[in-house]
Amino acid sequence: MSGIENAIEVRDLRISYKCLNKLSIKKSLFTLKKSKAEVFEAVRGVSFNVPKGQIMGIIGKNGSGKSTMLRAIAGIFAPDSGSIDLHGFSVSLLSIGVGFQKKLTGRENIILSGMLLGFSEEHIKEKMDQIIKFAELGDFIDRPVRTYSSGMYSKLAFSITAILETDIMLIDEVLSVGDAKFKKKSYNKMKKLITDKNKTVIIVSHSSETLRKLCDTILWLHDGEVKMQGSVAEVLPVYEEFMT
Amino acid sequence: MKRFVNDIKKYYKFTIYSAKSELKSEIANSHLSWLWWILDPLLFMMVYSFISIIVFSKSEPYFPVFVFIGLASWQFFEKTVKVSVKLVSNNRSIVSKVYLPKYILILQKMGVQGFKMMISYILVVIMMVGYRIHVGPVILYIIPIFLTLFVITFGFSTILMHFGVFVEDLFNVVNVLLRLVFYLSGIFYNIVKRVPEPYNEVLLKVNPVALIMTDLRSVMIYETMPHRKWILLWFVIGVLLSVIGVKTIYKYENSYVKVI
Repeated sequence: MSGIENAIEVRDLRISYKCLNKLSIKKSLFTLKKSKAEVFEAVRGVSFNVPKGQIMGIIGKNGSGKSTMLRAIAGIFAPDSGSIDLHGFSVSLLSIGVGFQKKLTGRENIILSGMLLGFSEEHIKEKMDQIIKFAELGDFIDRPVRTYSSGMYSKLAFSITAILETDIMLIDEVLSVGDAKFKKKSYNKMKKLITDKNKTVIIVSHSSETLRKLCDTILWLHDGEVKMQGSVAEVLPVYEEFMT
Repeated sequence: MKRFVNDIKKYYKFTIYSAKSELKSEIANSHLSWLWWILDPLLFMMVYSFISIIVFSKSEPYFPVFVFIGLASWQFFEKTVKVSVKLVSNNRSIVSKVYLPKYILILQKMGVQGFKMMISYILVVIMMVGYRIHVGPVILYIIPIFLTLFVITFGFSTILMHFGVFVEDLFNVVNVLLRLVFYLSGIFYNIVKRVPEPYNEVLLKVNPVALIMTDLRSVMIYETMPHRKWILLWFVIGVLLSVIGVKTIYKYENSYVKVI
């Protein structure tokens, strides 16, 4: 492994959803006993490395902790124990329905999202035309986002993260965005990112076909634990057999 | 503390831009567009003037200016605090997709409300010129008084935002409380003159917003000294609340997403 620099190092990561249920004042007044803390462990001691420039796919059935882990890597969740080291690389999470402010126009949302990802306003404005062109929104770019159709919404979301490239990109089931034409385009864009040796990508997907074409390695999560980890050729056949 | 400064540096551009866009989107969809920023305080001032002067026949010197100062300061405080309670869940789409220090959302709202307050105060200045109100050097006290208003608002907002994430009906409680404080703050009456002794002093000093608006009137209209010690005290309390609030938010903000 010497000579290969790791972009992402995850060590014994554990994330649990505690009894952080919402309270109402009535409830807390009338039930004097504190409700028992229900702990649900979504991710239980997962460790892995992703070398710089590689693409890793994550598979697993619904509820196996894939999205939770991506969010933790993006810094949105705090891990309960364990560590995530990104070596200072910038990171962005791309998932269906990225957060926009619905009252604002697409253009303003591009700038705001870009700023939240840590880019300067100038840099975003430079890339603006490219993003708008990629998203195929036409005149809608200057209308409020709430007027967008769901396809336009996800197309814009995808374009922002795809064009404003961060060092590490986390992609959550997003390759099924838009119509057939856009799907092809976004697929090609992903393909390009793969050939770029500076980008590290983690893809969560249920489609074995996409994973087979795009990924270098595969991590298989099952009930919050690593079931298998290795090259595409090793893991995917076993996974497919398991799922049928 | 260091983290706070760094985060502010990192996100202040975002804060400003997003406050600007919110203001823009607010007017983009209304017929009278930016006129509302002037009409809104103006019309409310008329309502309160009508109630006080015609219904209760209680007036103060320069009454419209008097109401305007009170109303503008109150609305800044009230709107920011109220919106903070539900701020995290209202911004679910952003908060669950990218990390940002959650109090940045409060600062953004303060920017929006602060801009509206500024417009109201421009109207106040215009009216002061119209009434030919004499202004002395004591008006310089508006700087520390406004600072106190900002710090107090931020302090209350951070703490309410934190609890607002976990306690579902906090909004209703805050709503009622704010309405009570609204009537106790002396927005359309003079709290010192109209409330019997000794309650007037108590009401004035335990309620930072009442103190702030009374002192703003003192220095802007009546050329009298503000309650310097009490303003300083509330400034210190405001800073303390902000520090506690920001620390709490830093400690728990990453678990907010798990709840909303």
